[in-house]
Amino acid sequence: MVRMMSDVDVNKIEGLVRVENVPKEDMQELCMEMTHSVYPHKKVYGDYCPIQAHVNCPPELAFRYLAKTEALLEWTYSLRDMIYVPEKELFEFTDAIGGTTKCYAKTVAHSGPMTVDYHCAWDQPDHLWMIYLMRVVPAELVFNKSGCVITWINCRHPFYDENPSPELAPEGRKVWVGDGWPFFYAGHTVELENLKRILEYRNAHNEWEV
Amino acid sequence: MIAVSLMGAASYMPETVVDNDFFRAASGVDRHPMFRGTQYRHHMSSGETASGMATTAIGRLQKKLDLDLHRDVDALISNVTLPDIPFVGAGAAIVGKLGMNPKVVYDLHNGGCVSFLFMLDLARTLIQAGKIRNAILCNMQTAAGRVFSQDDNRKLPQSCVPGDGCGAVYVCASEANPIDVIITRTHGEYALDMNVTAPDGRDWWQPGESAFNIDFDEAHIGSVIDRGNALVPTAMYDALAETGLEPQAIDRLITNQPNRIFLRNWREALFLPEEAHIHTLPEHGNLFGAALPICLERGWSEGRLKPGQRLMMAGFSHAGDYSAAAIISLNSVVH
Repeated sequence: MVRMMSDVDVNKIEGLVRVENVPKEDMQELCMEMTHSVYPHKKVYGDYCPIQAHVNCPPELAFRYLAKTEALLEWTYSLRDMIYVPEKELFEFTDAIGGTTKCYAKTVAHSGPMTVDYHCAWDQPDHLWMIYLMRVVPAELVFNKSGCVITWINCRHPFYDENPSPELAPEGRKVWVGDGWPFFYAGHTVELENLKRILEYRNAHNEWEV
Repeated sequence: MIAVSLMGAASYMPETVVDNDFFRAASGVDRHPMFRGTQYRHHMSSGETASGMATTAIGRLQKKLDLDLHRDVDALISNVTLPDIPFVGAGAAIVGKLGMNPKVVYDLHNGGCVSFLFMLDLARTLIQAGKIRNAILCNMQTAAGRVFSQDDNRKLPQSCVPGDGCGAVYVCASEANPIDVIITRTHGEYALDMNVTAPDGRDWWQPGESAFNIDFDEAHIGSVIDRGNALVPTAMYDALAETGLEPQAIDRLITNQPNRIFLRNWREALFLPEEAHIHTLPEHGNLFGAALPICLERGWSEGRLKPGQRLMMAGFSHAGDYSAAAIISLNSVVH
């Protein structure tokens, strides 16, 4: 027996389902109970928006591409006109779905686990609360085939539902980024498909370095 | 194309009613997920026959619809789970017992729990081809008493789910309650995932001491559930697509009734409230192929099927080898 953690009597924790307290038959029924034929969109994409795709491109190359913030100019639907803001160490874009809205972005990438997180916000650079969590996984490991899997998760930060600083919006703007949450699955899927096509094209033509 | 309609339904349930204790006593297991959803089921006793059940059910249908069985039934189409005599279906015996005079008899041995829709499709085709004018469709479910009540089997958790019963439906060329569409699908790749097995491993035609059971390979349970979750909604949506209807156009649902989870999932797939799904799972258990005609009778007799409604009928069989769906426009009052 290897001891890894301090002793906690997990039997005291309510609601745990473990082989010690839930027999296999009950577990099977629980699984059946939880498995439906169809799911309402809101149940699946209500508070989280997880999407994923297989991309025919080596994982390391996909990671390096994603880790460069300027790639957002290519694969996103509407982030354009990138400017580096040295005093904030981040980038300023125009997000065309918000007219002249400025979108600020900082990329946090870790090459070991190949995670690329885009910390973003509309209108101001000081609280980057819109966070796009992406990860590149070698498809060799998870699908026994070449290429990579890219996962992308967003969580529904309360600011999506209510703009905390409406006064910072450009004059006359009626839309708020969070209005689109019900379409995040669709919008992000379109963008992930863009990303897949770009990566596969670049890989096929060996077009990587500037 | 001539409209073909469902005109009425009748049923017969064997007298022996068995409650959950019958199985609890044998298995010694007090609570088991398999017991959930079903309280009672009917079992055929050893003297009873499939053709006997059919004779009673068709006799009731005759009275309800005032049929002359000698004159008004051009075809008898039947399906029986476990026949009275190996080799032959029950059709000819039913004809003999009731003095019927059909032009054709078809004993279908496929389609299992959704065989009713395969039979309905055949009847419609024959009527539209001008070969017959009308038909009686009859499903006889016999496996509960004959297989699942055996001493060896009673202790197995799956044995408490099946129930016996017989349902018969009259169809003819009419605008009364016309069939709008029938979709039938065959999935041969799943055909061998259900087996008839005995503990000693012998073939079912070999003599021996132990009882046979219907065996769903435990390793495949997950995929059978996955198939049921997918096959039935797919068939229903194919039926909708063929008629150009949206799911919201469906008012009532009748399916085979393997367990309460499938019933919930199929109903959810059509966005229907619980009361729109007509089933008898608590009192009859899994009626295999007889569920569809028996629930039709139930729906009409309780006034839950009414003119102006659209009815979806659907299901799948065995480990997923067949699936089907049909949409019926209810135009007429049926008692």
